[in-house]
Amino acid sequence: MVAAKKHITIVKKRTAPFKRHQSDRFMRVGESWRKPKGIDNRVRRRFKGQAAMPKIGYGSNKRTRHMMPSGHKAFLVNNIRDVDLLLMHNRTHAAEISHAVSSRKRIEIIARAKQLGVKVTNGKAKVTTES
Amino acid sequence: MASNMSSDLIWECTRGQSAFLCKRKSAGGVQFSRDPLNLVNKHSRKYDGFLSDKAIGINSSDKSIVLTTKKADKANKPASLLQTSSFKATTPARNLYRSIVNSTVKNGYRADLRAEAVSRASAIKRSQRPVRADRVTKARGAKARKEKEVSSE
Repeated sequence: MVAAKKHITIVKKRTAPFKRHQSDRFMRVGESWRKPKGIDNRVRRRFKGQAAMPKIGYGSNKRTRHMMPSGHKAFLVNNIRDVDLLLMHNRTHAAEISHAVSSRKRIEIIARAKQLGVKVTNGKAKVTTES
Repeated sequence: MASNMSSDLIWECTRGQSAFLCKRKSAGGVQFSRDPLNLVNKHSRKYDGFLSDKAIGINSSDKSIVLTTKKADKANKPASLLQTSSFKATTPARNLYRSIVNSTVKNGYRADLRAEAVSRASAIKRSQRPVRADRVTKARGAKARKEKEVSSE
């Protein structure tokens, strides 16, 4: 496996999830983000002490967007042909084996990735067993 | 490609959808190309070989490296369109790069792809080397203690 190309440090401006307003008060209000639309809503009006709303300013630097901590970007792979695409991109992209691929095929894919120096993000899934 | 159709038109027809094109939603929507005449597997007007009159392809085939070029005057004859020459795995890397460059770029054949051709040849050469086995990792913590217990018994 080849190390990723050098890149500027990845900065995550916020790692905490944005939770939907009042999801802490009611079971029926889920946590996944919904923009408050009400006329009097204090979160929408950005009052002091209220939950933060997602906005474009939280976005990552374009140069590190979609990047994993290793510096690679994940590329979903279904077969060996897909791995071969990454021959010239093994310093920027890593292979991620699709979930429905059998362990027999996974072993072939991992072997090919190793030849090409391509990182596989989930190389141990379905291939290794516990003890 | 064909003399009665411009490469730009073919590109406009195939840039959004093509058998060679491999799109993914991940990583910001990357687009790769499976075209054997594409040196960097990138779906783009410059690198896709199927649409241009002249294109270089470097591919591996069973321990050897195959250089493919397109004959510009055979656009209408698909059977004799491609010119291939293969290099043995034992060809030294420098000789390989030199002969690739001499037979293409130095002849005024796609001079813009010089660096890409050499780096692809080098990448293929590297991929044909024998694979080094994984290092055995030492067990740590609870696992190590368990292993120790098993071996002492």
